Amino acid sequence: MRALLDGYYRLLKLLLTLLMGVLIIPVSMQILSRYTGIIPRYIWTEEIARFCFVWIILIGAMIAVRDGTHFDVDVLPHSSNPLVELIMKLITHVAILAVALTFIRYGYDFGILGSRQRSEISGLPMLSIYIAWPIAGVTWLLFLIEKFWDIFADYNKERSLGSR
Amino acid sequence: MGPGEVAAILFGVFAVLVILRVPVAFALGLAVVPVFFISERLTPVLLLREMFKSYNAFVLLAVPFFLLAANLMNSAGITDRLIKLARAMVGHLPGGLGHVNVVVSMLFAGISGSSTADAAGIGSLLIPQMKKQGYDTSFAVAITACSSVMGVIIPPSILMVIWGGLMSVSIGGLFLAGVVPGILIAGSQMIVVYIYAKRRGFPVDTRATFMELLAAIFAATLALMTPLIIVGGIVGGFFTPTEASVVAVVYSLFLGVAVYRSVKPTEIPKVLYESARFAALSLFCIGTASAFGWCLAFFKIPAALVAQIEMMGLGVIGTGVMCALAFLLIGMFIDAVPAIIILGTVLFPVTQHVGMHPIHFAIIGVVSLGFGLVTPPYGLCLLITASIGEIRMIDALRDVLIILIPMVGVLLFIIVAPDVILALPRLIMPKYIQ
Repeated sequence: MRALLDGYYRLLKLLLTLLMGVLIIPVSMQILSRYTGIIPRYIWTEEIARFCFVWIILIGAMIAVRDGTHFDVDVLPHSSNPLVELIMKLITHVAILAVALTFIRYGYDFGILGSRQRSEISGLPMLSIYIAWPIAGVTWLLFLIEKFWDIFADYNKERSLGSR
Repeated sequence: MGPGEVAAILFGVFAVLVILRVPVAFALGLAVVPVFFISERLTPVLLLREMFKSYNAFVLLAVPFFLLAANLMNSAGITDRLIKLARAMVGHLPGGLGHVNVVVSMLFAGISGSSTADAAGIGSLLIPQMKKQGYDTSFAVAITACSSVMGVIIPPSILMVIWGGLMSVSIGGLFLAGVVPGILIAGSQMIVVYIYAKRRGFPVDTRATFMELLAAIFAATLALMTPLIIVGGIVGGFFTPTEASVVAVVYSLFLGVAVYRSVKPTEIPKVLYESARFAALSLFCIGTASAFGWCLAFFKIPAALVAQIEMMGLGVIGTGVMCALAFLLIGMFIDAVPAIIILGTVLFPVTQHVGMHPIHFAIIGVVSLGFGLVTPPYGLCLLITASIGEIRMIDALRDVLIILIPMVGVLLFIIVAPDVILALPRLIMPKYIQ
């Protein structure tokens, strides 16, 4: 299970790197076509760039849930009681879970909406972009199952150490 | 339900979740979900739609590119060249490396649009050097963090790109308006360094010879062309901000790989990944913050606020002080990007109502939020430099507050003297700025 998640995580990282590299191309083409005659003026470059960008943001957000690097605010003091820390961690992750479930449930409706639309310039089906939201929801769900597993495993380890 | 109740739900849920350490982006998203069930006309699909609409903006593409350019400059060793230049310029003053730190931040701010890249790049080089020369670690950490604030004030600036895109303010105009406040902040910090140096007896370096200065200028010339290309390109109307950011990326790649040959092509994927992931974190916040802002607007909360503030009868200066306080407060707790979307868009109609210039308002907002980068509990730049200096954030706090005092003076000056701030944009881009 964990090996599968690791593989999926590496795939996301690779996709993010590729998309970021690819994103440079359409914008450079736009400048080149305006100031030189080397390539004709395509109008789809801007739209493709925007759509790659949407995927970059959501893939980055998926990865950051597994890394635990989304920005949070550390105002409450940390407790030395493992039970209190367990509850705090659970609250944080349940909140992310709630967002994940919202993305899955309403991402489905959003996807249906997208399957009926095409993009304005290049005529791409909008589903190819809107689907990023339900995919983000499912990805978070998978990563969160792993997180919950780890949180309880840590808690049990710490409790057995403490009782000794 | 009236605007008051909805505002209470939105801000209440958000605040409770953030205090419970729920990541800001998720707390914003969760706060709007209950509101979508209030009215039959609303559905949570709107959350996703608003997120998509906010990401689908060409101007925001500049954010990952400016970050990428800054990271490429860091790995190309350009920061090191700028430090050598700063050292030849101000290294002989009392508190040498402190001044070097401020000047190099100013130079780097002209190349990068992000304070965090500035803090990480300069901090990892200068903090160890300052420690070795006998500076207090807390001072080294504090001055690096505070001077990195200039990254978002001196053009180019990621925050100004977001601000301009969001509130339809000329980004070229914002960039030009950031120059004077940036220089004033650098000046105020150099005064603080001087006073520290006199009181604590910080070491002094030998003055660089004229030839050394020339050599340092020569070594940094190509890097120092970057601000000219970016700001000149945008202000002169050659590029859009997004295109300028890509030009900055291509230029820094060219410098790193072909000219200085300090970036190995095999390192590039890692820089691409790091930049994309960091940009995605703040951009993801933009999506949920936009949905939050959309709810505020749907229930006419900004309008209610305008009516409230109108009764207080504040003028431009009073409103400016109020905005600065609001941004300083929110900047202590959340990242600058969602703060701009939530608070900036709410306060914008208020400032328009009293006749404040949109660029003036933007500069007050960006400078105040810049202070938030070094104030706990959520001060990203201070977190970065404290971890480089291997001390706790709390231990650097006293020095940070001392450095901030004259900076608050600069902020007050910005509020009371809009004409000074607007002079440069008016001079260079008169067509766009009345």
